[in-house]
Amino acid sequence: MAVVVILPKQGQSVESCIITEIKKKKGDAVKKGDILFTYETDKATFEEESPADGVVLESFYKDGDEVPVLLNMMIIGQPGEDYTSLSGGEVSGKEQEVSISKTEEPIKEETVPVAVVPTQHSGLNTQNSSFISPRAKSLAAKKAIDVNQITGSGPKGRVIEKDIQAALESRPKMTPLAKQIATQDNIQPQGAGSGLAGTAKSTDLLTPANAVYGVDYEDKKLSNMRKLIAKAMHSSLQNSAQLTHHLGADARQILALRKKVKAAMDAGTLTTNITLNDMVCFAVVKALKKYPNANSHFLGESMRLFNKVHLGLAVDTDRGLMVPAVRNADDLSIFGLANQLKEVANSCKKGAISPELLAAEAATFTVSNLGAYGVEMFTPVINLPQSAILGVNTIVPRPKDLGDGVYAFVPYIGLSLTYDHRALDGGEATRFLKQIAVEIETLELDIF
Amino acid sequence: MPKVQFIDPADVRKPGFVEFQPIPVNQYQKTVKDEKGNFTNVEFKEIYHDMVLIREFETMINLIKTKGEYNGTPYNHPGPAHLSIGQESAAVGMAWTLTVDDYIFGSHRSHGEILAKGMSAIHKLDDKQLTGIMESFFEGAVLNVVKKDFIGTTKELARRFLVYGTLAEIFARSTGFNRGLGGSMHAFFTPFGVYPNNALVGGSGDIAVGAALYKKVNRQKGLVVANIGDASMACGPVWEGMNFASMDQFHQLWEGDMKGGLPIIINIMNNQYGMGGQTAGETMGYDIAARIGAGVNPEQMHAERVDGYNPLAVIDAYKRKRVILEEKRGPVLLDVLTYRYSGHSPSDASSYRSKEEVEAWEAQDCIASYGNQLIEAGEATQTDLDATWADVKTLVYDMFLKSIDDAVSPRMTNAQIIGDMMFSNGSVDSFSTAKPDVLMSLEENSRVKKIASKERFAFDADGKPFSKMKQFQLRDGIFEAMMHRFYQDASLIAYGEENRDWGGAFAVYGGMTEALPYHRLFNSPIAEASIVGTAIGYAMCGGRVVPEIMYCDFLGRCGDEVFNQMPKWQSMSGNVLKMPITLRVSVGSKYGAQHSQDWTSLVTQIPGLKVCFPVTPYDAKGLMNSALQGTDPVVYFESQRIYEIGEQFHTGGVPEGYYEIPFGEPDVKKEGKDITFLTVGHTLYPALKAAQELEEKYGMSAEVIDARSLVPFNYEKVIESVKKTGKIIVAGDACTRGSFLTDFAANISTLCFDYLDAPVCVLGSRNWITPAYELEESFFPQVSWFLDMVHERIQPLAGYVSGQNFTDAEFIRRSKLGV
Repeated sequence: MAVVVILPKQGQSVESCIITEIKKKKGDAVKKGDILFTYETDKATFEEESPADGVVLESFYKDGDEVPVLLNMMIIGQPGEDYTSLSGGEVSGKEQEVSISKTEEPIKEETVPVAVVPTQHSGLNTQNSSFISPRAKSLAAKKAIDVNQITGSGPKGRVIEKDIQAALESRPKMTPLAKQIATQDNIQPQGAGSGLAGTAKSTDLLTPANAVYGVDYEDKKLSNMRKLIAKAMHSSLQNSAQLTHHLGADARQILALRKKVKAAMDAGTLTTNITLNDMVCFAVVKALKKYPNANSHFLGESMRLFNKVHLGLAVDTDRGLMVPAVRNADDLSIFGLANQLKEVANSCKKGAISPELLAAEAATFTVSNLGAYGVEMFTPVINLPQSAILGVNTIVPRPKDLGDGVYAFVPYIGLSLTYDHRALDGGEATRFLKQIAVEIETLELDIF
Repeated sequence: MPKVQFIDPADVRKPGFVEFQPIPVNQYQKTVKDEKGNFTNVEFKEIYHDMVLIREFETMINLIKTKGEYNGTPYNHPGPAHLSIGQESAAVGMAWTLTVDDYIFGSHRSHGEILAKGMSAIHKLDDKQLTGIMESFFEGAVLNVVKKDFIGTTKELARRFLVYGTLAEIFARSTGFNRGLGGSMHAFFTPFGVYPNNALVGGSGDIAVGAALYKKVNRQKGLVVANIGDASMACGPVWEGMNFASMDQFHQLWEGDMKGGLPIIINIMNNQYGMGGQTAGETMGYDIAARIGAGVNPEQMHAERVDGYNPLAVIDAYKRKRVILEEKRGPVLLDVLTYRYSGHSPSDASSYRSKEEVEAWEAQDCIASYGNQLIEAGEATQTDLDATWADVKTLVYDMFLKSIDDAVSPRMTNAQIIGDMMFSNGSVDSFSTAKPDVLMSLEENSRVKKIASKERFAFDADGKPFSKMKQFQLRDGIFEAMMHRFYQDASLIAYGEENRDWGGAFAVYGGMTEALPYHRLFNSPIAEASIVGTAIGYAMCGGRVVPEIMYCDFLGRCGDEVFNQMPKWQSMSGNVLKMPITLRVSVGSKYGAQHSQDWTSLVTQIPGLKVCFPVTPYDAKGLMNSALQGTDPVVYFESQRIYEIGEQFHTGGVPEGYYEIPFGEPDVKKEGKDITFLTVGHTLYPALKAAQELEEKYGMSAEVIDARSLVPFNYEKVIESVKKTGKIIVAGDACTRGSFLTDFAANISTLCFDYLDAPVCVLGSRNWITPAYELEESFFPQVSWFLDMVHERIQPLAGYVSGQNFTDAEFIRRSKLGV
């Protein structure tokens, strides 16, 4: 008896998915549990397993197709079996093609780079969802302004001449050659130029190699994931009043604890690896319980103060930044927290995290740890609507007054708290940050 | 209105009766035998010939339309053909006594009248005159066709010329009398005194009166005949024309040699049908059309019915009526009874009349019965008559062959030439060689003296405005230009409602009454069709004229005149005619829905009219000077809101001397760099205030351009401005939908698309009735509406809150509702 495999609906707001890879083609033999195909939403990648043993009798879509959820993907059955009576047979397959033909068109466009190249050479943005006036468009092309980077201030968000002029003013002056190359190749100068009074020369352009003689770049379409991150980050900086305080915490206590953990692991008395990050997160949870205003969402007209702490963790993956949440982190022991943090991070790296946990609303506060990379100080970007985010930096030795005129180098861990000034004032933010430091410096783990 | 005419209540309240004189009906009953001695034998025969010529000419056209061939030669004529077979005696009788100085105007059914009047002229003109006319007309283009391979007398050649020129015109050949641009219903030939025939029923009813006015005012020889149908007697403009022609002032107020009636005969070619409607018995109530005369003036228009089936009866009537006109006792109304066997047009199945009726009239056929009279009277033999027929048939067939030969009678090879004919674009100081009739020198004139003490620029050296009374006003600008021309061009006359004594409802003509005699400035009836219609006739004959429409809203009252007649005769005549009319139209406000509408858009839609709307004294004078120097019909709009406004822009003020502002050139009234306002009419002033507010509060600098002219219009200045600013609002007081503002906007969008930073926006009045003055702020574009539109549709203004809703959704909602 043949069975139909549909494209599951992953998350309430998901309307369609992109088929990442068809792993089993029509005619392939499959076993129950084999991966039939992988697909991605704008937040995560999923795998679909075969529900039965048999062969793929029919496969309706190919790699890269955007398919509305709940439509039939494949039919699995025995060789030679008549499956046309199934509701997901060829007939409905055709219907589905018709029904998605609208969404298919723009995707096709994206996969034909030749058609896109000329517009790009004119320095214009074809991806921007908003409109641009003919005048602004022409000025942008002339001045080699990338309209992708511009938000329109005209009626209905239309990019108008004024917006291009504003962008021009904030950009370094360019030499005629630089301008010409920028126009031809749609590239921008990086920061202030190296010429007179900061004028950008052709060598200052974003893509220096062979800029004069030819095209030496690749235009890569953004993945859904990248688009989503771009939108979220840009929106965060545009729509909130964020600033960052930096403060160091004496790291001797946690380093000592870490040493103990390692020893215990080596001795086999401890099975859970508790990292410095786990300890910092544990300290953060404690501090949040004392500063409930920091454990909040800022909603414009109101503040949403949470009873529980849902801790977001920034995770670097191949596909880009992901911030999964550990729900009810304040209920967890250090073991529980450590395990959960590892689990969500791994799920993200595999692309198998539940979309619900990736939503910005799922966490009440986020920790972003760049310490492992040696970053000494940074300004993390708030995951709106959360009110704050903590950046954790590397540990550096700093002189400290140990009393009685004795100074010594002690390890300090840098903490960078970015907060939304609409939600928190500087005093409270500082006290909260200091509290995190205190929690770190006085952390006790009764696990040994 | 004039004070010299005392309306005595004791007199006008007396009891009494209106008494009528009997109106003669078919009183002339003579035949050829009775008129022997009064006509030569040649004349008797020529009358017969002329009727036969018309009959054969129209029979030929009828055969082409119904059978597609004539004498076995096939031809297709897709255009109209309204024939008058059966009416030949009426046409020949009407034209017989007329000279080339007498003008006839006709209808859609006037082929017969053209040939009759043409033959009448050929009979009367000597060879030299005829040759002169034929050789000079279109540089001999028509003559060259008919003289090729022809051997015969000049008069015979002229007959060929007449038949061919008319036929080629009907067949839309470039060798036609009007280069093929008039066609069957409009063909005419002024050198023989044949003035335009008119495709609108009754169209000549007021135009011909204007021609008579021209003859009178300019002391020209001749009378004017309006050949119109019996059905046209129901038309308003015909009544208006008859009433205009009958005004008491010609007898009671006009002075010297100008005293007396107009030399006009309203000649009803009464074929007893208006298309398929039978006038007597069905669609009219006059029973006998001549009765109408009794309702117009005490002289009953000297009306009578004449038996148009007898050419001698019509000739007799014309001999008698000419005397009346020469005694300045016009106008005259003639009811010339006739009948057409042919249908209204070839599509007419004659379902409205019986076969017996047509046969009964055919039995008394005007040509056959007149031929019998000639034989009876011994003036001709049957052989003579047969010879006439044979001669005419040969002629008509020859001319037919020539006129359908594409080699000798080509169609206009380059139809683009029509574009060049829409305007004559002439520059003429004076249309008259006479010394202008005036009552005083300009210097003595009280208004001229008053203006001399006025400030010709609105502001003093410190930029402070002078008081309204001290400022040289817009109405003064119009006055100066008109007075200049009144003293330069003797043909210039002006009239309209309340133009004399009162000085115009808005005091533009103040001081003119004392300077000009009645025949140059007079009060017209409150009847706009006659005001414009007579002006058309006046201009067509070669006079300059300024009729006035007191409120723009009254344009509808002269719709046919403004939309169908005034714009078209220059091009329909193949540029034979000029139309030097400046129609002053005053745009109102404060007076509600039927007195406050800006209808500039209605006239811009009509090809052939120049349209301007000056709103500063400098522009008003300069454009009026251009209008009065030109040879084209101009609709000159004025705004009642700003007659008293001073000159705020032209530094140095309004020049005292003569200067012209060319048509079609918009004027930058204020320079700016961020947005352009293009305004039509009075809206310039709110636009300037909006520009000031935009600049002061929002740092946006607006360039304000006054369109000044609508047709023609040079877009170059506007394009230049939009290239600079990228944004434009087109604004005016017209209701937005379908207005010329939207035309401007569409064209600017096309011409400036690549430079636009926002859609071209249109700011007009709401699509409502104009409400009461107290509510006008919700109807006409206000200062704040400009900012609203900038904010909503062009570039949001920081912190601004719109008063008007210019969003897309609201636009769509209103459009759905049609408001």
